[in-house]
Amino acid sequence: MKSRLSFRLLIFIPALILITLISFILMKLAPGDAISSYMDPNVSIEDLAILRNQLGLDQPILIQYFKWLIQTLKGNLGFSIQHQQPVLDLILSRLPATLLLSITSLVCILTLAIPLGIISGYLKNRKVDHSITIFAFLGMSIPSFWLGLMLILIMSSILQLLPSSGIINPLLIDAALFTRITDISIHLILPVLTITIGGLAGLTRYIRFDTISVLNQDFITALKARGLSNKRILFKHTLKNTLLPLITLLGLELPGLFTGSYIIEYIFSWPGMGQLGLNAVFSRDYPLIMGILLFTGGLIIIGNLIADFTYSLIDPRIQTKKIS
Amino acid sequence: MKIKPLFITTLGFLIGLSIIALILPFFDQLDPNTFDPDALGMATPPNKNHIFGTDELGRDIFIRCLYGSRISLAVGLISMSISLCIGTLYGLFAGYFGGLIDEIMMRIADIFMALPTLFIILIIQSIIPPSITNIMIIIGLFGWMGVARLVRAELLSIKERPFVLALKAKGLKNRWIVFKHILPHTRNPIIVAAMLGMGNAILIESVLSYLGLGVQPPQASWGNMLQNSLHYMRESPWITFFPGVLITLTVLSLNYIGDTIRSYLDPKEST
Repeated sequence: MKSRLSFRLLIFIPALILITLISFILMKLAPGDAISSYMDPNVSIEDLAILRNQLGLDQPILIQYFKWLIQTLKGNLGFSIQHQQPVLDLILSRLPATLLLSITSLVCILTLAIPLGIISGYLKNRKVDHSITIFAFLGMSIPSFWLGLMLILIMSSILQLLPSSGIINPLLIDAALFTRITDISIHLILPVLTITIGGLAGLTRYIRFDTISVLNQDFITALKARGLSNKRILFKHTLKNTLLPLITLLGLELPGLFTGSYIIEYIFSWPGMGQLGLNAVFSRDYPLIMGILLFTGGLIIIGNLIADFTYSLIDPRIQTKKIS
Repeated sequence: MKIKPLFITTLGFLIGLSIIALILPFFDQLDPNTFDPDALGMATPPNKNHIFGTDELGRDIFIRCLYGSRISLAVGLISMSISLCIGTLYGLFAGYFGGLIDEIMMRIADIFMALPTLFIILIIQSIIPPSITNIMIIIGLFGWMGVARLVRAELLSIKERPFVLALKAKGLKNRWIVFKHILPHTRNPIIVAAMLGMGNAILIESVLSYLGLGVQPPQASWGNMLQNSLHYMRESPWITFFPGVLITLTVLSLNYIGDTIRSYLDPKEST
């Protein structure tokens, strides 16, 4: 377990460094620099040069990068041009909403994808399998932002059942805790539904293939010969064998899941990091963009580490090694 | 194996769409930027003259959708080709050299896979001028990792086959064997990856254009036709509806064809 974790860290630390490098290069490529985005046009060029010198903007780019990296590691992510607030504070205030949305979606995706995939694989080439397959292909192919727009149109504009934007009704902010939780849950439904339909497809297909290949293996025949019920074979023995690769796959899908949910946050005006990030991109607020890029990278890495940890918890081979 | 009717349908849809996209400029009367005077510069619902209706400026949505297919298919095709070239070469080199170089190259691919690609593409698009060429290149540059893994895995399994040993025994150079004899054998997974990659590129383009960071108006693309949907959706939902359906159908066809080819090539599946 230890060796596997440290192996994954070997991938993710360079990944994080690459993200810092990319965000730094992007910021340097962007027109203008820190000075020109703050200054009023009346200041003379000589004064600007002095300021640049004081801020170290005339130093070699590599030195600038390391200086910036050290500050970043200390938790100083800079100052948002657009919001006039420290980037770290802004992100931290938006983080809970993003985590709420993505974790809820992830739980929904898993609780639906596993049974759907297993049923689809078990009833291969039957009507149920065909319907699930068609549904999965649709989910894979629909642009998630358009699905979100359609859901808003149907559920909130036409049927007026669900709210189309925000996380909570502004009138209920001071309401009792239970009322607030209910209201937040109602606001969660549409964005979670959108992300779930998109994220479900790939996993369902994957679990279907895995179920088919596990069901073809000899030990399943042996279990059948011993007279075990189909249900037990499916949900105990087959499930266990499909779970392991699933966790690895989930780790791979995390980047797409996060960035995908950013677009959904934007469409549903969900006050999370994604909405903040997209608005920062629109207003070219580079310190904020870099901060959000870094945090997203960090979230992906933490997610992957959790996936790895779960993997080592579930995998019986690793457990037996620990006992002996 | 029986050819499924759905496969024929999706293939026919894609071929038809491509033909329309190719011959469209020959029809002068179909101009995507003509404002219908009867529409009075307003959105009109689908009717006899405009089967998809007109958008908020009174332009025919059907014609704009057809022109949008040119952009979307071209972006999908070219960015997919870029990813495919990079991925194939990368995978071949990693598998060919093997050992430490292979290890390092594949770890780099892993690192790229852990990046929040879509967000990075958005940021890059906000910095560089959003021309169609740039969109194609950027999408292509971030889509090669899957292809590289596939090609490498295929190369490693082909390397062990007897015919490669025979070629080596004949004294052929490794480089020659890889490019002349092994590369053609990897074409099957590459074709499948191309189908899926093209669908994915079309999706990314639609997101970019929807957010205003992709194809710029007045040029029509399926994504940027949706750009103002949030404002107009309630009163005139057809503006939002048709381009989205076209994106979905196109990507669905690509995914379905890719999957059918894959299961056709994979003997384990057809049982």
